[in-house]
Amino acid sequence: MKKILTTAALLAAGFGASGAMAQDMECGDISMGEFNWASGELLANVDKIILEEGYGCNVELIVGGTSAIFASMDAKGTPDIAGEQWVNGVRVLVDAAIAEGRLHAVNTGPITGLGEGWWVPAYTAAANPELVTVLDWIERPDLFPSQEDPSKGAFVGCPAGWGCQNINNNLFEAFDMAEKGWVLVDPGSAAGLDASIAKANERGENWLGYYWSPTSIIGKYDMQAVPFGVDYAGDDNWNNCMATDGCADPQRTAWVKSEVFTIVTDDFMQNGGEINDYLAARVFPGSVMGAMLVYMADEQADGEDAAYEFLIRYEDIWTTWVSEEVAAKVKAAL
Amino acid sequence: MSTDNAETGLNIKELLTEFPEMSRTELRDFKKGIDETFKGFTREYGEGIENFFDPLLAILVWFEKLVVATPWPLMIVILAALVYAGARSWPLVIGTVITLLIVGYLGMWEDMMFTLALISVATALCIIIGIPLGIIMSKSDRTQAVITPVLDIMQTIPSFVYLIPILMLLGIGKVPGLIAVCIYAIPPVVRLTNLGIRLVDKDVLEAADAFGASPRQKLFTVQLPLALPNIFAGVNQTIMMALAMVVVAALIGVQGLGSEVLKAVNNQYLALGLMNGLAIVAIAIVFDRVSQKFGKRLQKHSEVVHG
Repeated sequence: MKKILTTAALLAAGFGASGAMAQDMECGDISMGEFNWASGELLANVDKIILEEGYGCNVELIVGGTSAIFASMDAKGTPDIAGEQWVNGVRVLVDAAIAEGRLHAVNTGPITGLGEGWWVPAYTAAANPELVTVLDWIERPDLFPSQEDPSKGAFVGCPAGWGCQNINNNLFEAFDMAEKGWVLVDPGSAAGLDASIAKANERGENWLGYYWSPTSIIGKYDMQAVPFGVDYAGDDNWNNCMATDGCADPQRTAWVKSEVFTIVTDDFMQNGGEINDYLAARVFPGSVMGAMLVYMADEQADGEDAAYEFLIRYEDIWTTWVSEEVAAKVKAAL
Repeated sequence: MSTDNAETGLNIKELLTEFPEMSRTELRDFKKGIDETFKGFTREYGEGIENFFDPLLAILVWFEKLVVATPWPLMIVILAALVYAGARSWPLVIGTVITLLIVGYLGMWEDMMFTLALISVATALCIIIGIPLGIIMSKSDRTQAVITPVLDIMQTIPSFVYLIPILMLLGIGKVPGLIAVCIYAIPPVVRLTNLGIRLVDKDVLEAADAFGASPRQKLFTVQLPLALPNIFAGVNQTIMMALAMVVVAALIGVQGLGSEVLKAVNNQYLALGLMNGLAIVAIAIVFDRVSQKFGKRLQKHSEVVHG
């Protein structure tokens, strides 16, 4: 027994991994927030596997929503890490916590190409190459006939009661869409919105409406984001007009940029060592995340299954996040 | 030997504590197979089914536009007249008018008109389908044995479950909302039509036979009139259940009081939720009292016949 240990130590030393071994000892227990949506689950489980297998940590996942995990980190300092913290909804609190040093954003873009906006199916875009921005599309309500009144174009907005409902209502007004012959359709719920995209795609019908990425719907149906064709008209217009109910004079604007951070507590920032370097390097390309979300939806896979699938399928991506020794250890565990 | 025993013991224990379930991949393939089959079906027939419902959509859109476009004083007069025609009760008429005025004053007039239009068309559809179905059911025990469990399923299956195929087939909007409402609301009128006809006195039927009534004459002049109080109780229940589905219909994009309730639920707007919820209750009470009073008047009439 002792001989094996010695051999292992010698081998490790031989590979020059003594630093990593020392780190193993220090890593210990980490608690990590697992956000309760598909990409959040996947990201947390990928982190868990890499930290446990590659860095020898002992990771406990704590499931919660955007505000619950953030509030717990901000107030109580646990969990240590939140992988996919959407910032827009809790921006004031996040800014304050970071300014006061309670929390740190170690990665300000763990997933690329994410955000909210207006989308059309790829085949619709391909069939109408001359239509590029929102300004072009809104001139063609005839391409999107409404079921209830085919003489009008249907723009599918945001479900009743969601924050984005006011924004879509105001954009609808700002772009003069009612005068151009559009009706704003309320899909009622997330299920209604998903179904309306799915139905349009299954039948090859045109669809224009609100959605967000990364999501399995966007990946699965190959939806394309439509650039607004106007600049973002500033926070004042966005926060005090677009986001409110019944703004008198909404200005044309692009959708506000969605920000997602990986945040850690101050304690973890001081003591986390190279784990923080890993978190900073860990960036999922949007298309890969989209493909994984489609996999999760199609196979009805949970976050852990999907994390293993990701590590097997996209080795060339995650191996760039870690050192070679860590990558080797993780690979050995797959 | 002892290890063998231990292993067998373990196996039996495992067998008793772990349910022998389908393997995970088999189960997934099974579920995926069903999903794919249905998706294929919607791709193939979805458009045809949607076109089939076009007349219904046209009626619904027309009726909604009519109700919303009617000036509100006229609408109140019409509704008051309908209440009086049904219930012949002045207190009820006055109560209805006051309720409508309060709802309108609180800014829910248009949403209430949307909801009223949906409920009226849904009730009419349920009656048009439900009463003939109840009559067919009353004619033979075998059809009753087939239809009853279907009605049981329609009444008890969680409505979110049938929303999935409806959404896949018809998308979002008024027609899928109407169908979801009717699936839930139609059973009472079918059941009570069946029951009402079956409860008609055998002696009365014998008398009708003795007068040489044809089956058709027997149905329309004897059975249905005598069953009317029961049928009306069924219609009353159908209306109540349709109103209960207003919020679920809002989930698939039907405008009205229901979507305001959803908005309130999603944002913890207590007042908005209560106001719209109570407006639904107010409609329900008016519908209920009117249809009950109307049913009672029919009953009086039938009691005279019996006497």
